Amino acid sequence: MNISRRGFLKLSGGTLAAAGIGASVGVRTASAQPLKVRYAKEVPTICPYCAVGCGIIAHVSNGKVINTEGDPNHPVNRGSLCSKGSALYQIPNNDKRLDKVLYRAPGADSWTQVSWDWALDKIARNVKTARDKGFVKTNSKGEVVNRVENIASLGGAGLDNEEVYSLVKFKRALGLVYIEHQARI
Amino acid sequence: MAEYIKLIDLTKCTGCRACQVACKQWNELPAENTGFTGSLQNPADLSYDTWTLIRYDEFEKGSGVNWIMRHDACMHCDWPACVKACPSPGALVKTDTGAVVHDSKFCIGCKACIVACPFDIPRYSKKEENIAKCTLCYNRIIDGKAPACVTACPTGTLQFGPKADMLAKAHAQAKAVGGTVYPSNPNYETHVLYIMPAEVKLAALQHVNPDPKMPTTILWWKNLFKPFTLIGMGGVAGMAALHYFIKGPHKVEEKEEGGEADG
Repeated sequence: MNISRRGFLKLSGGTLAAAGIGASVGVRTASAQPLKVRYAKEVPTICPYCAVGCGIIAHVSNGKVINTEGDPNHPVNRGSLCSKGSALYQIPNNDKRLDKVLYRAPGADSWTQVSWDWALDKIARNVKTARDKGFVKTNSKGEVVNRVENIASLGGAGLDNEEVYSLVKFKRALGLVYIEHQARI
Repeated sequence: MAEYIKLIDLTKCTGCRACQVACKQWNELPAENTGFTGSLQNPADLSYDTWTLIRYDEFEKGSGVNWIMRHDACMHCDWPACVKACPSPGALVKTDTGAVVHDSKFCIGCKACIVACPFDIPRYSKKEENIAKCTLCYNRIIDGKAPACVTACPTGTLQFGPKADMLAKAHAQAKAVGGTVYPSNPNYETHVLYIMPAEVKLAALQHVNPDPKMPTTILWWKNLFKPFTLIGMGGVAGMAALHYFIKGPHKVEEKEEGGEADG
């Protein structure tokens, strides 16, 4: 078997042409990760951050929030969210969040770790003392008002719709009138 | 599966960065430590952990200065230079949805895609020895959902749909606002399209390639040098075998006496 120089050049030229100067890259199916929310339970909620009240779907799997995204069926936002609402996932899942109760005594310069029971008792005692001291039954005209003027409440933007509902119910029941929210300050 | 297009109508973008956050949230990417740069653009550039970014550019309009906010991410080329350049099968894949997907399992971290990309999108991590870029949320779109950024967008800047619909929509919308569709190179189509407002000049924007095309060096390398090298290697082996059959193995002949003097 003999290959001449000319024959060799023809052969290699043919192979080059077959490789194709402008050959397209092949279309393939990538090995995609399975959709992480496929088997999760969808829980509708309301975005806590502002007064627009966008609908959000929280995907829950094994009792943990694994994803949050805009609710496409919600009439307010129809699936869209702003940058704050898009970041709602980090409210339940955040390693910077405190997971212990810290207490700073009056005049102290440092925090000490206390138990939940102790903290709740302390809060209840302080609320009771302050409320007993500041309860106003009637105003200067003699009208019954039943209000507490020496306690104020400041809500946080991480509280969601249902939490805020029950908190405000509780505070109104105590007689509070100074109820504010962090987002308005 | 049908081919999809992500349409970005820059006349509607308010720069709220919901897409940027939604991308981080869906893809579980960590936050970055950033500082002040004198611009609202934050982080300053795409990175291994930031696959999409709103870029803030200024342009003159009348007597004042205006912002142009641009959602910047992978353009998902129809004939992707990164896939062409990638030496590791499966690391970068063009899928039938049009999305160009990166799989870190097969990536060898050679950075050939970074050099090849006409839009400068893939980012390398020295720590992971790997690259990362936008995947057009491939796992979402094969499940019938829109990408995370499109789902989050509150103004309708980002739209997602089948290729033909979106192409028609892009050109109709561009005509309505008197703008242009970018990229407009018919030989280098992408699965991400921008509607640029008329008063914005492409050359004035950061991180934009006004004339995207497949780099010629990649074509030379992949279509000429690489096959030629393979032919060369095969040829050497083939010719050696041929020589063996025709001439037989090499025989060492004994030297005749009285030859050259030892040096």
